[in-house]
Amino acid sequence: MILAALLFFPLAAAALSAMVRRRAWMEAANLAGFAITFVLALALAGEVLRRGTVSLWGDFLYADHLSALVALLTASIALVCAVYAVGYLRDDERSGAFEDEPAAKLRKYYTLTPLFVFSMLLVVLANNLGVMWAAIEATTLASVFLVTFYGKVTSLEAAWKYAIIGGVGLSMALFGTIVAYYSAQHLPGSGELSSLNWSVLAGRAAYLDKPAMRLAFVLVLMGYGTKAGLAPMHTWKPDAYSEAPVPSAAILSSVMLNCALYGLVRFYVLTSRCLGTEYPGRLLLLFGMLSMGISVPFVLIQKNFRRLLAYHTIDHAGIMVTALGIGGKLACLGLMLHMTFHTVAKSLLFLCAGNVYQYFRTDLFHKIKGGVLRVMPLTGAVFLMAILAIIGMPPFSLFQSEFVIVRAAFAGGHAWAGGLFILFGTGVFAGALLHVGSLVLGPASAPVAPRRPWRDNSLVVLAAVLIAIGFWLPAPLLDLIRGAARIVTGD
Amino acid sequence: MHTFQDPQFGDKVVTLMAALVLVLQIAMAGQGWIVTNIRIFAAQSLLLAAMAGTIAWFNHATHLYIAAALTLLVKVILVPILLERLVERIDIRREIEPIVNVPLSVLISGGLTLVGYIIAESFQRPQGAGPAALGHNALAVAISLFLIGFFMTINRRKALTQVLALLCLENGLFLAAISLTYGMPLIVELGVLFDVLVAVLVLGILVYRIRETFESMDVSRLRRLRG
Repeated sequence: MILAALLFFPLAAAALSAMVRRRAWMEAANLAGFAITFVLALALAGEVLRRGTVSLWGDFLYADHLSALVALLTASIALVCAVYAVGYLRDDERSGAFEDEPAAKLRKYYTLTPLFVFSMLLVVLANNLGVMWAAIEATTLASVFLVTFYGKVTSLEAAWKYAIIGGVGLSMALFGTIVAYYSAQHLPGSGELSSLNWSVLAGRAAYLDKPAMRLAFVLVLMGYGTKAGLAPMHTWKPDAYSEAPVPSAAILSSVMLNCALYGLVRFYVLTSRCLGTEYPGRLLLLFGMLSMGISVPFVLIQKNFRRLLAYHTIDHAGIMVTALGIGGKLACLGLMLHMTFHTVAKSLLFLCAGNVYQYFRTDLFHKIKGGVLRVMPLTGAVFLMAILAIIGMPPFSLFQSEFVIVRAAFAGGHAWAGGLFILFGTGVFAGALLHVGSLVLGPASAPVAPRRPWRDNSLVVLAAVLIAIGFWLPAPLLDLIRGAARIVTGD
Repeated sequence: MHTFQDPQFGDKVVTLMAALVLVLQIAMAGQGWIVTNIRIFAAQSLLLAAMAGTIAWFNHATHLYIAAALTLLVKVILVPILLERLVERIDIRREIEPIVNVPLSVLISGGLTLVGYIIAESFQRPQGAGPAALGHNALAVAISLFLIGFFMTINRRKALTQVLALLCLENGLFLAAISLTYGMPLIVELGVLFDVLVAVLVLGILVYRIRETFESMDVSRLRRLRG
């Protein structure tokens, strides 16, 4: 029941927002819808911890620790961004960013965002790999018009890249899914529908057709890798993130990345149980290292802070894929920890960037000339803290997860991967700290900004979570993360 | 045995149709008129629906009939109508100067077909005879379609023709699905077709707005976002 409800409420919020006329009602529909979704995701996590797996409608919907973790992350960030969006869009409306059609713009945002969240939840709850593919494609379709939200020339360009690169990439993933389906054809006793169900395939992965699974994994890696923004298929990412409204960019960069990686992890489990971990591991390491490497020069020379964060996301997608490629208990634990921590820190960074962007009306470093900490004390402080966290400074949580991954790399005989990891990490560390330091510190360059309750409060909540998880992970959350890692390693 | 139940006859019919699909695809790669491209796409989809129907008939795979009917509805009727309306509204009828010229693109498409056949070899089923072999040639064509579609997305500069190339990719996937596994489960097929339809709508709106903003659909002019 929880599974169906989890999908129903975002849809209901979208339908309501499409029908009502007044802004207040749309805001209420979104806030209520996402609050209920969040509670349901918590309930699902509890249920999964108690019973192991939850399924509905003859296994059509299926949730284990991994799905519950990603669903919980999705629902929490969606709720925080919904609160933030209220303040953000009101500010936009006041400042005339919507030109002459505020009602239509608001309806677009408040309808598409729940649809977007709905499709992400369907990705993690669908058991059938084909349905999961359709849901991932739906996330692109639901978010294209969020990228064109402001209707600028550059937004059209960004949306076009996003849709076409995403479409071509995902067609490869569909091909991979078809080939995986073929590889399961000769399995005895697999029914028509169930032979694409992950829960069925995972149990019999050793009997899948080996050459076919080889091909399937390459295709899926390219496909979902495009969606996750792995290099060299990453080019849509900085454009889409810097053109979308900030709350949407926060969702895109943290939660949608998780969904794409989720699809990849599901296929990795099948492939590694069929062919062993070495073959998929090598491919994953290659793409992971490439993504981390490519992001370094772009982070160093970046002039625009939203694009800086986007390249940072490419770096972190690379880190997570590298962790998956290293494989083994330790690295998979590191992967799940990193996914959790990155989700919190990256969305927080985007929300800070949104505050700065809206106040200064620019996202270029040289136009702001520093001093954000004095102009907007709260935003500046949180921004600085979040950037320190995400580049892996202790005592913040991302230091722990990256440390675990590097240790796993050296312990698992991937010394060169560990070495490169540290090298690239240092490059990104220097670039990000330099840029954000010069943005936040320095004398005030503008009058002090007034308080903004909706946005500031969502920042404070997320920042508190970020600090807290650096020191103390609640036991149920840790169980969920451990369970998710166990699903990948299979014991 | 009656001709219409003989699997070998079915194999021949499917192979013939697969060959036609391939010819249409290469024709599209070497064709500049957008409306002609759309009609070729519709004809290709019609052939695919017929192939799905044929495979369903000879293998008694009932759910493939539904997939065939849905393909007919979405890709032969709805999508071409939507695209032709879009062409009317944006009033651009010809792809000017693709990156690689026409003779060369036909040649490249031929080369990609060869690659398709080589890849398809690895899928030879252990027991080559019987109904399982039905549509094996079709798989080679499917992979070629996919590769040519890929080439077309890179080669085309107009936004609308890129959409068509994407649709051809998808046709290749549909063919791969029916020839490898007699079609995906129906719910997946439904999801995919729904996505195709929504994608055409979304991309159509984008194409229209790009046309309004840039006074051209040349995506090579979309290059303000860098670095």
